[in-house]
Amino acid sequence: MGKIEAKNIEKFFQHDGKPLKALGGVNLTVNDGEFVCIVGPSGCGKSTFLRILAGLEKPDGGEIMLDGKKLDDTGPERIMVFQEGALFPWLTVRDNVEYGLKIAGIPEKERNEISNRYLDMMQLTQFTNSYTYQLSTGMKQRVAIARALVMDPDVLLMDEPFAALDSQTRDLLLVEMQLIWKKTQKTIIFVTHNVPEAAVLGSRVAVFSARPSIVKKIIDVDYKRPRVAEDENLGSYEKEILSSLRHQGPK
Amino acid sequence: MRASLFGKKIIFYIAIIIVWQAIDSADIWPDNIFPSPIEVGEDLIYGISDGSLFYGIGTSMWRLIVGLAIAICGGMVLGIFMARVETVNQTIGSLVLGLQSIPSVAWVPLAILWFGLTDSGIIFVTAIGAIFAVTINAYTGVKNIDPSYIEAARNMGAKGSQLIMTVLIPAAFPYMITGFKQGWAFAWRGVIGAELLFSFLGLGFLLNVGRQLNDVSQVIAMMLVIMGIGILIDGFVFKRLEDKVMSRWGLR
Repeated sequence: MGKIEAKNIEKFFQHDGKPLKALGGVNLTVNDGEFVCIVGPSGCGKSTFLRILAGLEKPDGGEIMLDGKKLDDTGPERIMVFQEGALFPWLTVRDNVEYGLKIAGIPEKERNEISNRYLDMMQLTQFTNSYTYQLSTGMKQRVAIARALVMDPDVLLMDEPFAALDSQTRDLLLVEMQLIWKKTQKTIIFVTHNVPEAAVLGSRVAVFSARPSIVKKIIDVDYKRPRVAEDENLGSYEKEILSSLRHQGPK
Repeated sequence: MRASLFGKKIIFYIAIIIVWQAIDSADIWPDNIFPSPIEVGEDLIYGISDGSLFYGIGTSMWRLIVGLAIAICGGMVLGIFMARVETVNQTIGSLVLGLQSIPSVAWVPLAILWFGLTDSGIIFVTAIGAIFAVTINAYTGVKNIDPSYIEAARNMGAKGSQLIMTVLIPAAFPYMITGFKQGWAFAWRGVIGAELLFSFLGLGFLLNVGRQLNDVSQVIAMMLVIMGIGILIDGFVFKRLEDKVMSRWGLR
């Protein structure tokens, strides 16, 4: 039994009035403390799958199990980091990070203690009183990750969080992400369209097929950490991911 | 820059007063039709010295504030419900659009019949004149919220009234400010219009008294006061609030 299991997940979309099958029975088991990346051709529904895992969308078929229990709603044990961060512009960095704790009714002193830990981990201590418009895209994603981590979720779901970053910032965050993973021992499911990113981050990489998507192949990236994007030894893994992405056949 | 802008304004208004005085001095129209700025100024000073002007302003402002507060609270609730519950939008939403096209003074006869010549009647006209502008802006604001804000909040456990208070209202606030601003403008027109017709205290009443006494300078003096209060509230309350919200939200 995995930490989180997706069983035969199906999802339809309406396209020009006709139902379009986006997910054609996705099966994926992610073990406790594992870092799994999902890659796939654009429009294959990998983000939709992640949203279903988060409980933000309902599947049209199949089920999601967390620790063997069926899930049917969103919950703080599965926290999502959104592509654009989805930070609240009306709150300071600290208030953004503490949002979930405040909702949970945790008193201020305790909230501050928890948020300080993660603000420090994400190197945001200088920016605690800034508003989000004052931050760079990279800083915003750091805040978004801190906001997710304070919730101490069982599973961290990340939807292309580094897609909008410049390559320097991204390389830095790729290394940090591995350190955070090691430190927090979280189960992480990370969606990306960037193959090198997947090879750097993932202990396993699940390759989605084109629509209707299934998990076409799972590639184990068995290589020492922390990994850096320019490490040539990752090239063979990247090639393997790329070739299974390429052999998609006609849509 | 700012100083020169202020200077331009001062010069413009002084020029208006000079032209006005010049026209009056030309004696084209008799003084009881076209008073001089000095006569209007004397009327204002008289109103200030006997306190009647302050009493009128106070009465009108009190009605405005109560009416606008009702409109803001009611409009926000209605707008949020319309944005979040499709059935409410399809039913009440269409009615709101219709009701918004009724000028607030058109509610006066109904208000008199329902409330009599009372403060409540005037407040009713004020509130109903402003509520739909607030509603429509609150609705648009909530509809335009980035859906990921709502999803992120739900994901972190917010639901129901918590979601409304911590995300829907703050996220829609830049739009809501526009609604408050429009609502205030409608409310101010509503208050003065209703006071004219109710003839029951307030600036609109003083304006009407001026007409009944054939006192053109009082009429103009009251109109200037109404305009002046409008400029003050627009500039000092709503402009500042808007600037603050816009910069805080990173929209400017």
